[in-house]
Amino acid sequence: MAKDKIINVTLKVWRQKNAESKGHFETYDAKDVNVNMSFLEMLDVVNEDLILAGKSPIAFDHDCREGICGTCGAMVNGYAHGPDKAVTLCQVHMRSFKNGETIVIEPFRAKAFPVIKDLAVDRRSMDRIIAKGGYISVKTGNAPDAHATPVQKKASDLAMDAAACVGCGACVAACPNASASLFVGAKVSHMGLLPQGQPERKQRVQNMVWQMDSEGFGNCSNAYQCEAACPKEISVDNIARMNRDINRCGN
Amino acid sequence: MKLSSIRKKQIVAVSGLAMVGFLLAHLSGNLLLFKGPEAYNAYADFLHSLGPILWVLRLGLIGAVLLHIIFTVLIVKENRQARKDRYAVVQDHRNERSLAVKLMPYTGFVILAYIIIHLLDFTFADKTTIINGVDYGLYGLVITTLRNPLHAAAYIIAMFSIGFHLSHAFQSVVQTFGLSSEKSRPKLMLASLVFGLGVALAYSSIPLYVVATFR
Amino acid sequence: MSLHSKEPSGPVNEKWESHKFDMKLVNPANKRKVDVIVVGTGLAGASAAASLAELGYNVKSFCIHESPRRAHSIAAQGGINAAKNYPNDGDSVHRLFYDTVKGGDFRARESNVHRLAENSVKIIDQCVAQGVPFAREYGGYLANRSFGGAQVSRTFYARGQTGQQLLIGAYGALMKEVDKGGVTLFTHREMLDIVVIDGKARGIVVRNLRTGKIESHSAHAVVLATGGYGNVFYLSTNAKACNVTAAWRAHKKGAYFANPCYTQIHPTCIPVKGDFQSKLTLMSESLRNDGRVWVPKKKGDKRRPSAIPEEDRDYYLERKYPSFGNLVPRDMASRNAKEQSDEGKGVTETGLAVYLDFKEAIERLGKDAIKARYGNLFDMYFQITDSDPYKEPMVIYPAVHYTMGGLWVDYNLMSNLPGLHVLGEANFSDHGSNRLGASALMQGLSDGYFVIPNTIGHYFAGTPGALDDVSTDHPEFKKTEDEALARINKLLAVNGTRTVDDFHRELGNLMWDKCGMARNKEGLEFALKRIPELRKEFWSNVKVAGDNEDYNQSLEKAGRVADFMEFAEVMVKDALEREESCGGHFREEHQTEEGEAKRDDENFSHVSAWEFTGVDSAPILHKEALEFVDVPPSERNYK
Repeated sequence: MAKDKIINVTLKVWRQKNAESKGHFETYDAKDVNVNMSFLEMLDVVNEDLILAGKSPIAFDHDCREGICGTCGAMVNGYAHGPDKAVTLCQVHMRSFKNGETIVIEPFRAKAFPVIKDLAVDRRSMDRIIAKGGYISVKTGNAPDAHATPVQKKASDLAMDAAACVGCGACVAACPNASASLFVGAKVSHMGLLPQGQPERKQRVQNMVWQMDSEGFGNCSNAYQCEAACPKEISVDNIARMNRDINRCGN
Repeated sequence: MKLSSIRKKQIVAVSGLAMVGFLLAHLSGNLLLFKGPEAYNAYADFLHSLGPILWVLRLGLIGAVLLHIIFTVLIVKENRQARKDRYAVVQDHRNERSLAVKLMPYTGFVILAYIIIHLLDFTFADKTTIINGVDYGLYGLVITTLRNPLHAAAYIIAMFSIGFHLSHAFQSVVQTFGLSSEKSRPKLMLASLVFGLGVALAYSSIPLYVVATFR
Repeated sequence: MSLHSKEPSGPVNEKWESHKFDMKLVNPANKRKVDVIVVGTGLAGASAAASLAELGYNVKSFCIHESPRRAHSIAAQGGINAAKNYPNDGDSVHRLFYDTVKGGDFRARESNVHRLAENSVKIIDQCVAQGVPFAREYGGYLANRSFGGAQVSRTFYARGQTGQQLLIGAYGALMKEVDKGGVTLFTHREMLDIVVIDGKARGIVVRNLRTGKIESHSAHAVVLATGGYGNVFYLSTNAKACNVTAAWRAHKKGAYFANPCYTQIHPTCIPVKGDFQSKLTLMSESLRNDGRVWVPKKKGDKRRPSAIPEEDRDYYLERKYPSFGNLVPRDMASRNAKEQSDEGKGVTETGLAVYLDFKEAIERLGKDAIKARYGNLFDMYFQITDSDPYKEPMVIYPAVHYTMGGLWVDYNLMSNLPGLHVLGEANFSDHGSNRLGASALMQGLSDGYFVIPNTIGHYFAGTPGALDDVSTDHPEFKKTEDEALARINKLLAVNGTRTVDDFHRELGNLMWDKCGMARNKEGLEFALKRIPELRKEFWSNVKVAGDNEDYNQSLEKAGRVADFMEFAEVMVKDALEREESCGGHFREEHQTEEGEAKRDDENFSHVSAWEFTGVDSAPILHKEALEFVDVPPSERNYK
């Protein structure tokens, strides 16, 4: 095995103390970066240096660091979750960057995602949408046997495709209008494709779309940036399904 | 009545479709220009002979235009508010040039400006055009107007704005009503592009013909 | 205080049913007046909060994340066990019970495990009703696969995202109750302490991670579902925010910590690459269904894997354990990988790795079939390592994954501190000294959906004073808040020269070396001496950035690492005291001639529950004797 490649990069990072204050870019040098480091590990190293220098480290969202919790995310060089396709930011490795490159790092920007600090944003608007119907209302107790209702494999697979959403908000971040249509469409589809989800189907889509609108997300203009930015490659078919379901309800 | 964002977009879509209908009818009439002054002026006379029906159609069209504009303005306003702080750097995640989408409001503006000029040029203008002692009517008006290369160029630009607008809009309408799928979407997007381009070229053929023939 | 499990009498398969009838109930009208705090929103916490709210209790739910859906349960990949016997391969509640007791190396409470096996069946029903998209066959019925330690296919799965999908189900149920008003949600709150009034848990003190504000919340009972302590090793498959703080604070307030030395080292993880490494990534155990584990027969064979012919390869698991082969339980698979590496047969630069090879499976089933089964795992492996597992075998090595130890609880999931209930990985309960694959999700959901909703009412109705009024005006809250704030200020004031991560890494290395996959007296004693020194240095030389009144991730970490520094000591102490090998606890002094774990049932068939007596003073050991009636202890044999 060859020795790991080492690169130097320059970071232009958005710094913002809290939601109320104005932010600005600051520039940092990240030297001797092993290309096998993950992007977040590179930020860890920068932060360690900042702390020791008595400066404020860069706040950024992260947790599982294996691409499934949906916590991490930032716009890196203009791409939600960085330049690699179909991964979250924690899965991006430094081998995706060139020696000497300047990397611009900004938070996911949307009115519905206020900045907490630096790159960390508050995405609870998505929880509030889910609270309005992103579930099947079954109480804990004696649910029927799991084999009581067979589910067509195709429907089940499509539901799983939609359910793969990790709630990271990259769809909103990449959308030119900061629309949450892919997020909501995916949840509406996940439930709507399954027989268990039918009784609440109309009311679910209506309530979730109302809530989405009231959170201050923008409107979908079918630019399909969301699908391209989604780390789980969730299809805009799910938006079409949501729109179809809306066709069946009032407004 | 409170309307969901999806319903608002559907209003934009339907009113847009109505305008596309008009656009196609208008084009089929316009192409009669190639058949000569008689055919063309006869078509204009036919339209005027419709009387009240023409007004119903006109009002319908005006309604569609207004709805399209009003709801688009509402939507775009919300979209702007949804991201007040802009990105310093933002890339196209699809790695293709989806310029048509980004330019939708601008092409829309060009089209609106064009409609006004177009109405002034032809609809509200005096349609007696005497050339060499013969009244060529509307046909003559079109020829004399578009013979000016600058005027013709402006028309062509406007037509390509329409084409550009349509190249996104057509498939967008299908998606907004939830009628497209992963399989059909690429085909729809191609069809949308071809359609937009087709409309632009077909319309542009008229000023091109006029400039080339009647210099 | 004597440790009484309070398990009901009678035959093991009737205990839970009869106990449910015998427990006292709270009248529905009264439930509305009862407040319950649930800390944590993973599978156990979210399912408990939702189910308790459905019953009518006033639930306050807390999580350290910005959203309850981000709890680390989401990371479970492979699946969830249930004794459904859909494949008709001889499974039953009794067999799942038997496998789990045996898999846990006879260090779990039989009655708890049987209840878990009974509930497993209902969990699948509940989750399907919630819309969890489990994998299905063409007929529309649920699919199953096998996991280590079992010879039946009883694992249900949702691609490589089973934990995520189950959590979305539980989170959905939670958000449903939030919308209805039964649950009040407090996100971005970290529990800093528990408040004990008149010997009962009556509330918690939390820090609002956004603002730094210290807040008090009172309730008639507190439920902790705050996960495990694997991050004491710094590098583990746990998420970065996983910590022992909530459990440790409860311990310091009187709750016993049981079996802290039982840690699970997962055999199939991506090996460590460099000092910068911040976490380890698990490759699901399900890969062992089709992947074959091997090392070169010759020491130091540095040829590329594809250049090593069959006759020079040692498929050591298949060779040593012909009937279970690559699907031996986790502890054995891990130990064998370490053994091969220690013998110098490990692969890669570091020599700390073995191969997991899919070549044969790809030839047998085709690339598409393998892609359908493991596609996302293969993609993830490629993304991290830059090596294509369809062409080259994966390299894997064991990593810390799960902790079987935790706060001691009785059969009702209540700790020795009245009113404090502990669920999921945070308690010590059902897995003995080794957890079988796909059983963590099962336990979390069993505790949350089906156990606590029954047992908490028994506490309220059966304990004098449990339903007395409780309010944050009580001076104990103010006192606890002041202590929490003082500690934060102390951390900020040190202003030394080493970062929190730096200390954490050193503690982690020490624990991995001395209290990791294999332990011995000498090493443990060294660690026991070293940990207090390191802790002392931490408190005199740590550098924490920023201040309290801010979103301060450096401060959050500091508080958690400070607790790990204290916790590590009792973990090592427990490992030292347990002079036997069992499951995930392997003492080098106690092994068979073939190098397998050697239990000492005569002296150690008990739960070790530790009582806190002070940071620099020795904890007191309490024992709960374990009795095995239905699964008589035997040597765990997977040959």
